[in-house]
Amino acid sequence: MSDRMRRLLPGLAVAAVTLALPAFLDDSALSVYIFLGLAAMVTVGVSLLMGYAGQVSLGQGAFYAVGGYTAGILAVHGGPPVAGLLAAPVVAAAFAVVVGVPLLRLRGHHLAFATLATQLILLSLAGQLEFTGGDIGLQGIPRFGAGSFELGDASGYAYLTWAGVALVMLVTRNVIASRPGRALRALATSETAAASSGVPVGRYKLVVFALSAAFAGLAGGIYAFYVGYVAPGSFPVLLSIEYIVMAVVGGLGTIWGAVVGAAAITLLVQALNVLGTAPGMPSYAPSVLSYAVYALLLIVVVLFLPHGLLPAVTRRLSSRRAREADARP
Amino acid sequence: MRELLTYLVNGLAVGCGFALIASGLVAVHRVTGVVNFAQGMFAVVAGLSASWLLGTGLPHGLSEVAAVLIATVTGLLTGLLAIGRRGTTPQSSLIITLGIGVLAYAIEIFVWGDQPRSFPGLPGSVTLGGVGVQRQHLLVIAATAVTFLLLTAFFGRTYLGKALSACASNPYAARVIGIDVTKMGLLAFALGGLLGGVAGVLVTPLRPISFDTDVTLIVNGFAAAVFGALTRPGLALVGALLLGVAESMAAGYGYAAYQTELALGLMLVIMVVQSTRRGPVLEETA
Repeated sequence: MSDRMRRLLPGLAVAAVTLALPAFLDDSALSVYIFLGLAAMVTVGVSLLMGYAGQVSLGQGAFYAVGGYTAGILAVHGGPPVAGLLAAPVVAAAFAVVVGVPLLRLRGHHLAFATLATQLILLSLAGQLEFTGGDIGLQGIPRFGAGSFELGDASGYAYLTWAGVALVMLVTRNVIASRPGRALRALATSETAAASSGVPVGRYKLVVFALSAAFAGLAGGIYAFYVGYVAPGSFPVLLSIEYIVMAVVGGLGTIWGAVVGAAAITLLVQALNVLGTAPGMPSYAPSVLSYAVYALLLIVVVLFLPHGLLPAVTRRLSSRRAREADARP
Repeated sequence: MRELLTYLVNGLAVGCGFALIASGLVAVHRVTGVVNFAQGMFAVVAGLSASWLLGTGLPHGLSEVAAVLIATVTGLLTGLLAIGRRGTTPQSSLIITLGIGVLAYAIEIFVWGDQPRSFPGLPGSVTLGGVGVQRQHLLVIAATAVTFLLLTAFFGRTYLGKALSACASNPYAARVIGIDVTKMGLLAFALGGLLGGVAGVLVTPLRPISFDTDVTLIVNGFAAAVFGALTRPGLALVGALLLGVAESMAAGYGYAAYQTELALGLMLVIMVVQSTRRGPVLEETA
């Protein structure tokens, strides 16, 4: 087997399983599957932003919200759903450019707080403005469809979501492999050094910021069509923290790591939810369990697996393979 | 005119609450270079424990002191996780404190439930210049003034305070002259817990507090601390008072709905302006 094949094989296997899964899942499992995909989409963007551009965004939920509201508002006013879904990432990216121009001058914890503040401002505005439906939000967003075709059942949304995930991963892979991708890696290590070797630091950071926002916006758009309503309460600050947890747990700056992180956290939280709502458990159990798991995972991974879960596992595997190769005569 | 004065005093009291949170942030950041996202959580823990202790029948005063002590211990534990392991970068520490904030949600809901809690502060009000002022407001302002005086004296006059500052300006040099940087960092976190606890105990009678109030507190506290570039308690105090008064004025004159936007917008503007002045090269080592 050629090296290229060996590298492609796991990806193909995962793709095949992804495509086959919706046929075997019931509706509640499908909704977990869809939310997993949406989270993965956003997390790939966060991972790109944190791992490659070295910027922490605590406001990724804001772009998710912008995408959701964009799709929702267009659809509620009778716009074609396809236009809504296409507009979601575009508007989110445009929003990111507008806030990014002043905010990306900041770095480290300043940027983290600035993005968090952006999300809080956005949520507060959405809760007050007329056209976003105030605190109640936008209700009755029509189903996604094109022309006379309407996407009704959950498995359709699952395919839509995972098509989105595939698109996001492909775009990210190409960005990383390109010349700007190498520049981004340089920029994450030292902005001064990158700038002095001719990397247009500001512009590249802005592009990655907008790209990660577009991913979140796309996910938000699909979310709006699938759930059928959006409100400020759908996009709490904790959501943004969740994406950080997923990206960090999976391994920053790895595309597959983001997906693994999103999957691991979503499934774990889902399992805990089942456990927490089991008869005999107190009413606060689900929230306590999920908060505790987010927190402990985040802390343990940052302290002990700073490169994340996936890189840690693959490194162990490859070092074992290397040892076996050495042992062979 | 009378309204204006009322709003002013309210705003000052609210601002003092932010100032205490901000001073905790500054204390930790000065010494360790870490921005402690869990700072608002210390106030929440203190507020919730004070209301719980009062509920068990402990008298006023004792309950508050015990609550502040609980917050101090929480601060120390947070520090142990955030900087206890060698080689944790400030960026990683920020993410760890983020995690600790969420972990605290779980513990707070488990221990105290998810409903907002409050407890009565100083009852009654006094008349100052023709305006009725709640005593609790005055207490908050007075306590903040004393705290800041003590803090300034501690950092400026005592050997320990200077050793703490030395860790921030140059950890390597501090270690060379025999200062245990990690121990000092933990001390700073405990101090942060103490200051956060004082804030929580003072503010809870004014605004009921629940497990997720910490986001509002930390964001406002950070906004104030940013005013003093995260290192100067005095400027942070000024920033916090401005913020409190601005919010209270906005609320008083009918823009209550836009309080958040106002405060956060102000913070963003200040940060962006500061960053243009400082230039990009300075922070590389952080």
